[in-house]
Formats: sequence, structure tokens, C-alpha cells
Amino acid sequence: MPGAPDLRSLADEDLMQLVRRGDARAFEAVYDRHAGAAFSVAYRMVGRGNVAEDVVQEAFLSIWRSGARYERARGSVRTWVLGIVHHRAIDQLRRTAVHAKRRASDEGIEERVEAPERTDTEVARREEADTIRSAMDNLPAEQSHVIELAYFGGFTHTEIAAMLETPVGTVKGRMRLGLEKLRNHLRTLEMPSA
Amino acid sequence: MSNPAHDHDQWADSLGAWLLGALPEDEADGFRAHLAACQVCQEDAASLQMAADALPMSAAPRVPPPALKDRIMATVESEASLLTAAGPEADRPSPRRRRSWLGGLSLRPALALGLAALAIGFVGAQALQGGTETITAQVTGGGRATLEIEDDRGRIVARDLPAPPEGRVYQVWIDRGGPAPEPTDALFSVSGEGSAHVDVPGSLDGVRAVMVTDEPPRGSDSPTGDVVLTAST
Repeated sequence: MPGAPDLRSLADEDLMQLVRRGDARAFEAVYDRHAGAAFSVAYRMVGRGNVAEDVVQEAFLSIWRSGARYERARGSVRTWVLGIVHHRAIDQLRRTAVHAKRRASDEGIEERVEAPERTDTEVARREEADTIRSAMDNLPAEQSHVIELAYFGGFTHTEIAAMLETPVGTVKGRMRLGLEKLRNHLRTLEMPSA
Repeated sequence: MSNPAHDHDQWADSLGAWLLGALPEDEADGFRAHLAACQVCQEDAASLQMAADALPMSAAPRVPPPALKDRIMATVESEASLLTAAGPEADRPSPRRRRSWLGGLSLRPALALGLAALAIGFVGAQALQGGTETITAQVTGGGRATLEIEDDRGRIVARDLPAPPEGRVYQVWIDRGGPAPEPTDALFSVSGEGSAHVDVPGSLDGVRAVMVTDEPPRGSDSPTGDVVLTAST
């Protein structure tokens, strides 16, 4: 179409302006850019492909229907998208037996089965994931454990305290210390997220 | 009542848990109130947010199945077509504007009374979850649905809902206790699995119930189809 923008050349924030006006092709471009990361974090949290698909579908349809809620000043589109996926996955975990199973054994959230490399984008994303996981691995085990249980397991600090038979105050302290160390490590690496 | 700004010692150690989404909802509400008034915690939160934002990118990369995109885009394109058919005034404006294209219309009192009776007769479960109040809706034709309320905004989340009759779409209505429910321009269908996720246009302040009926593709000024679900606020 004459005068139509090349969507692939647009920044995420500009695509969201088009999504807000009901542009399905702009939405598709946003999906193509972030669905991989979204599916990865959903799968990591819920541990089952079909459930992860459901989480991602709900999240992206929510994004399509509430695109006006994206506020550029509050962060990147990627952070916004992944935040929505995270909330949807937590909702899913807390209302299904998946969470109950993990309450008994949190081994599932350690699952790290990776997709085969296919594109440069996926290779770059894998490298970024490796870098952040490396930063996580550098944390003291008790700090990385509570962060994993909270963020990827969807557990509250009181649930984690009960699971680990550790005072709530200690759990909260480990969460904060772990985030501080992770931040400091990422700063030294000059990660895009930093 | 204590001043949230003066409760730093009480709340400071909750920042990490809050950033990770690990505070129970009542504590999260208290922390947010403190955060709004405490500059120290605001600065700490801004500083640590980057670490929390990086966490999802640590997940092992996985490729979503192509069928997932197909399902999502089928719904998106269907709704985009509905928006186009509804005209520029319905072209995904902000929620506060959406209601206007059907505004100022009279509704059939009998049907309105019926909808109100459904709302009054509704006994639903309410729960607070992740900063959102979740209200279980009464569903009349199968499936299940909730109304999720965050701040003054509402969102209908439905699962296993039957598709609307051929040639019709679902439309959201709000009941403010007046003589008739108010139409909105929130029109939707469901995915192949019967799921839907629909924002209720505008604020829910003063709204007694949210309802859904099946209507013609451009929506109706007054309800013409069956009530599919009702959620009392």
C-alpha cells in the first residue's frame, strides 16, 4: 500500500501506537518480536507446553485489546509484554494443580530444556539468557533459590518461608540482597536490560 | 492511622518481595501505599527494577508453535475487522471514548429489568489475586468466566464459552442501577478453545454489574440476544 510504513523498521513503541488504533499487522510485528521470549518465560513458569500456550494467548490478546495501556515512560515494550505474561502465568499457577504439584516439589522450575537454534535472533536471545543465568548462578544459592521460587514459581514470601522452614524476614532479606547483587552484576556486563 | 511515609522501617525489607511479585495482596497494597509516599523506597525500587526486569530473559529460549500465532492472529484479525466495520469512532479509542458510539440510546425496559434481576440474583465468589479482585460470573450457556477488577478497570476472562451464534458477536453491557443497562463498544468473539479476554470500557465506579449478550456484528443499542454471562460488582 503506497505510503504504508515498513513495520519491520518501526520501533516497538511506534508499533504500539498502531496497535492502539487497531492495526492487526502492527500487532503481528509485536508478536513476532516478543512471542519467543514470552513463550519461554511462560513455559519456564508453568512447565507444560499447552498451558504455556494458553498463558501466551491470553497475554497477547490482552495486549491487543488494551494496547492503549502501554505507557512509554514506564519502560520498554518488551518489559511490559513480559510483565503481562508473568502476571498471567502467576494467575495460572495459583489457580491450577500445577502450583499444587510444585508446592510439594519445586524441581519443575529448574527445568531448562532449550529450543534448537534457528535464527540469529534466537541465538542472540539464547546468549542473553545464558548471560543472565550466569549472573543468577553467581548469586549465593539461598538467594537465587528464593528469587527462582518467587519469580518463576509464583510463590509468596510466606509460602517460600514455609517451604524452606526459614523465617519470613530472612526470605525477604535474601530476595532483596539477591536482586541487589544481580543488578550490580548486570551493570558490570552492561546488559540491555540494565 | 500511621503516615505511610513514616513507615520506612516497617516496609523497607519488603521491596525485593514486591518487585518479584511475592507479596500477598494485602501486604502488596500496604507496600504500594508506602511506596507512593516514600522517596527512599521509590529510588531503591527504580534501582532494583532492572534486575527484576532481567529475570524473564533468563528463561531457556523456546520457540512457540506456529499454531499459537495462527490462533491469536485469527482472533485479532476478526476483531480488527469488527472494529473497521464499526467505523472510525470505534477504531480502538481509549476506553473512556469507546462507549460514545452507542451512547445516548434508549433501551428496552423489560429486558433491562431482566438483566437487573439476573444481576441481583447472582451470588458469586470474590477473591483478591495479584492486585486484582476476581469476581466469578454467572454463565448461562456453558463455560466459565470471571470479572477481574484492578483499580477501577474491569476485564472479562472467559473459558470454554460457546461461540456466539453465526453472524453475531458478543457485546458487553454495564448496569449502573438505572432503568436500563448501558451499551459499550466492547464486541468480541472467542478463540477456538472458547477463551476470551475483554476489557470493559471505562471506569467501573458506580457500576453494579457487567453483562454480555450476543448481538449483530456492529453491536446493538439495546440488548437483542441472550444473556451469556453476568458479573455483579
